[in-house]
Amino acid sequence: MYYSAIMLPVSAVCGGTYRAVIRTLTTRNIPLYRRLSSGGRVLAGLADADTIFALSSGHGRCGVAVVRISGSAAATALRCMVGLGNQLPPPRTALLRSITDPHSKEVLDRGLVLWFPAPHSFTGEDSVEFHIHGGPAVITAVLQALGSVPGMRPADAGEFTRRAFHAGKLDLTEVEGLGDLIHAETEAQRRQALRQMSGELGRLYQDWSHRLKRTLAHVEAFIDFSEDELIEEGVLDQVDISVCDLQAEIEQHLKDERRGERLRSGVHVVIAGATNAGKSSLLNTLCQRPAAIVSPIAGTTRDVVESALDIGGFPVLLSDTAGLRDSPDLVEQEGVRRARERVQQADLTLLVVDSTILPSEEQEAAAFLLEHLRTLLSSQDQPGAGRCLLVLNKTDLLPEAHREKLNLELRRVSGLPPVCLISCQTNEGLKDFLTVLQSSVKTMYVYYFITSNQY
Amino acid sequence: MSHMLTKKLPPVQSVSFLVSRRASQLSRQRYDVIVVGGGHAGTEAAAAAARIGAETLLVTQKIQTIGALSCNPSLGGIGKGHLVREVDALDGLCGRAGDWAGIHFSVLNRSKGPAVWGPRAQLDRQRYREFIQAELLSTPRLKVLEGSVEELLVSDPNPAEPGRHRVAGIRLANGSQLISASSVVLTTGTFLSGSLFVGQTLSPGGRMGDAPSSSGLTHTLRDRLGLRVGRLRTGTPPRLLKDSVDLSLTKLHPPDRQPTPFSFMNTHTRCKPAEQLPCYLTYTTPGVERVVRESLHLNCHIQQDAKGPRYCPSIESRVLRFPGRSHQVWLEPEGLTSDLLYPQGLSMTMPPDVQLRLIREIPPLHRAEIHTPGYGVQYDYVCPTQLSPALQVKNTQGLFLAGQINGTTGYEEAAAQGLWAGVNAARRALSQPPAALSRTESYIGVLVDDLVSRGVTEPYRMFTSRAEFRTSLRPDNADLRLTMKGFELGCVSAVRHHEAVRVRCSLQNAIAALQALTMSSTSWKKKLPGISMSENKNQALSGMDLLQYKDVSFEMLASVFPESLAPYMEFSQRLKIEAVYKPHCDQNKSEIKKIQSEENMSLPQDIDYFTLSVSLSQEVREILDRFRPTTLGAATRLEGMTPAAIANLFKYVVLTRRQESMMSGKQADNEEERGEEPCKRNASLPQ
Repeated sequence: MYYSAIMLPVSAVCGGTYRAVIRTLTTRNIPLYRRLSSGGRVLAGLADADTIFALSSGHGRCGVAVVRISGSAAATALRCMVGLGNQLPPPRTALLRSITDPHSKEVLDRGLVLWFPAPHSFTGEDSVEFHIHGGPAVITAVLQALGSVPGMRPADAGEFTRRAFHAGKLDLTEVEGLGDLIHAETEAQRRQALRQMSGELGRLYQDWSHRLKRTLAHVEAFIDFSEDELIEEGVLDQVDISVCDLQAEIEQHLKDERRGERLRSGVHVVIAGATNAGKSSLLNTLCQRPAAIVSPIAGTTRDVVESALDIGGFPVLLSDTAGLRDSPDLVEQEGVRRARERVQQADLTLLVVDSTILPSEEQEAAAFLLEHLRTLLSSQDQPGAGRCLLVLNKTDLLPEAHREKLNLELRRVSGLPPVCLISCQTNEGLKDFLTVLQSSVKTMYVYYFITSNQY
Repeated sequence: MSHMLTKKLPPVQSVSFLVSRRASQLSRQRYDVIVVGGGHAGTEAAAAAARIGAETLLVTQKIQTIGALSCNPSLGGIGKGHLVREVDALDGLCGRAGDWAGIHFSVLNRSKGPAVWGPRAQLDRQRYREFIQAELLSTPRLKVLEGSVEELLVSDPNPAEPGRHRVAGIRLANGSQLISASSVVLTTGTFLSGSLFVGQTLSPGGRMGDAPSSSGLTHTLRDRLGLRVGRLRTGTPPRLLKDSVDLSLTKLHPPDRQPTPFSFMNTHTRCKPAEQLPCYLTYTTPGVERVVRESLHLNCHIQQDAKGPRYCPSIESRVLRFPGRSHQVWLEPEGLTSDLLYPQGLSMTMPPDVQLRLIREIPPLHRAEIHTPGYGVQYDYVCPTQLSPALQVKNTQGLFLAGQINGTTGYEEAAAQGLWAGVNAARRALSQPPAALSRTESYIGVLVDDLVSRGVTEPYRMFTSRAEFRTSLRPDNADLRLTMKGFELGCVSAVRHHEAVRVRCSLQNAIAALQALTMSSTSWKKKLPGISMSENKNQALSGMDLLQYKDVSFEMLASVFPESLAPYMEFSQRLKIEAVYKPHCDQNKSEIKKIQSEENMSLPQDIDYFTLSVSLSQEVREILDRFRPTTLGAATRLEGMTPAAIANLFKYVVLTRRQESMMSGKQADNEEERGEEPCKRNASLPQ
């Protein structure tokens, strides 16, 4: 029964932890540290670790997002995030309220709040729904705030449905679809995880998972081998240190504002340009599906349309914006404002220009484009060097000779961003454009990766 | 309290009447339960079956080896000590036998939390055997027969139960004597197709000095019943003559000053504190490694593929896996009067002359003499995923397996399985439903669940890290967790039950009294000036809260509040432990509830997963077919299961349940409300 403790027992628990970590990372539910018990310390907030929350509407930009909470701490969350006095709202009644951070009291959003006391809820438990605005920033802020409420944790895949099932809230016909639903949900997560698992980011996560497994093995060895069995001195202290380090690293990784977000959701590429230059057509060409409504009517796109895609193996969040022009239409004005905001935040701007508006003399094209850039984007919106590509669209409408000369001429001129001539109609020039785009995205991505690792 | 540990062995009435050397001497040819094998698993199985009320027959090759410690002369340890306490809480033998035979008691892991303390003892081999034999031979309804089992009698299954075969009894070797039984428990240890290895010689057998068991049994299991078997190996070190060892060159390792008994029924051990013997610690030298390497070509056993016990490796495995290091060797006493030492860590299988050369490379053993050489064993085990949680072979009604035959290693693991198989074999024979023990309530439950739902690839040893709920499954509270349950199952005596009820009541009352002592931290500071605690004026703390502080003991509180706490001084340590773990246990509760609710959803054992009309991937179907989980809970713990598969299985289980209840009509809810135990002060203790 005595044994030299060098052969460490790594129980199957490791597999579970690993999966939990990966899942937590991929679903971007922020308070990862709540799932890691650090070296025997009990973290506050685990006491009633049974209340779960999740974004119940799909990920990505949408008008309204639904965040659902289920469990005994749901009422607590409601009370501390919504100004209600000491009273809970009437059951199953929608109230318009400000939703605030429980600690900083900062208003996160204004939205509908619904209270479903047990047993009359989807899960049969006390439940709360927040119907908030669908922007990723709002959703993240609300999820983050929920995670900071004691007793709350992010839900596992399909956990709401499973709870509902346990509570006898689902009848069999409803359950019929459950498996497929969960399957789709986890399949999407799996794909997302797989995408993230390749490359540098994958190595980072794998390193974390490896370190977690090692600390777990050390803790298990520590409790399972006695004082006389050659367990090294201070194993537990070392574990404590390495878990704290890891926790700090993960928090940093998740908190590093834009850089970390880029790593997770991809490089932000914004399509901008004058109305009717073919921005939405470019988005659709890149997405290979009609993500945005395209029409010959100027001002068709009024809000930002987002699409996540993979360019040469790098995740990219592509946004199509409203055409930049002065419009009397209030909604369109707002669209233009948002478009400019996007361009400011973008990693890479694809400035789309209708090539038919270029002067017929090739030598004048460069000067025209510079001027066009200047008028289209106010000085503060001017994208920095290397952060913009000029996309001359509708080249199918140009005579071929003119097109070639234009191409040669624009390449010669300095002071212009890289120029690509394409036709979204015929896909001509698309291949070359993609090569340029891909190399720019790669540069951005590597840049973010390197800078995010400088902590 | 100490009524179970008398200075005399239990009275053995007319041994000749209870023990038979020949089957013809048996008074009956039909038993409820037959247990094959007299090791740790077999003795616990036979005793438990008889306690439950089954007419039980224990068949063993040699009565004198019943209760023999084949390998190390010790019991308990981390995780293993937990099992001993649980076996004892269910009125098994090994805890009390350990208290009777122990000659060196120590609680391992004292520097860590009490949930992972490991009660352990060095044993006197002679005394251990004496106790087990005396106990068995005085157990009513239990008969012991010396003999060898040739084959199992297999007949057609009872169509009302799942399974393709039914075991009907045994046929003994040397004559065609048949003995029938409703249940048979096989605890063959290393004897199933066992081979012994010393150097380059190989001989059939499961233990040096004992006859090999008949090949008929292997044939029945493998060919007749179609069970999947695997092969494992183990080994034992040479025994050394104590006089030939220079103990002055070792490091003395004394026992605990005050022995801690294994059994809840004992307040002290037979061995007096001062009579205990020490152990001795020494280390291997580079010479040891050299001898191992030089003799590899003479060492058959080490070249075999079968997996050996990872946590009790042979000296060959140790130096080959971790070369260039000095390895610990413990020299352990074999008994109070024994002139032998057991070198823990020196299990070896080279030829005897090389063994002598090897040990003499260790300074204190320079002139050591070997009494019996070490040897290796290879044996068959039955892949335990073919068993139900009652340890019954799924395809064979009435056949139960326990111990090394299920791929485990260790006396304690064997004893725990033996007891559980014995309980269930008896319940089956007496037409009672199988008993269930969850991994949320006991290490025995963890052991059984790990075996039957995940199987083994190497000898399975218990660890505290295997138990998810180890903060509630502690050695100190095994009685609270299991004794009442055992009493309901019928395997716990009234005396023990009475004691456990008394303990539970006292603890509940003591906790209620502690909780009633609630005051502000300022007031506590005045009462206990020496204690450092954060001063929060608004915070009211109970005595239970205070007891969680590291430097607060129950004795301290009792000295301040003698009128309410003094009556519970007997439980001061247990109360301290309860207080320390209370927050952890409260946290676990919801998780435990979830697991239990999934464990209540059983999956039929005869499903054909390949044709089941439920949406499952081929991969998942293969996993389910291979492991055949008995409950949804077990299914969720399988490697490779997907959430979608679990959801679809859920649906399937609910559907089948509905159909069944519709078929059988509305059955009255005949589960009676169980009356509350006599004490009703509401304090929370594990039930």
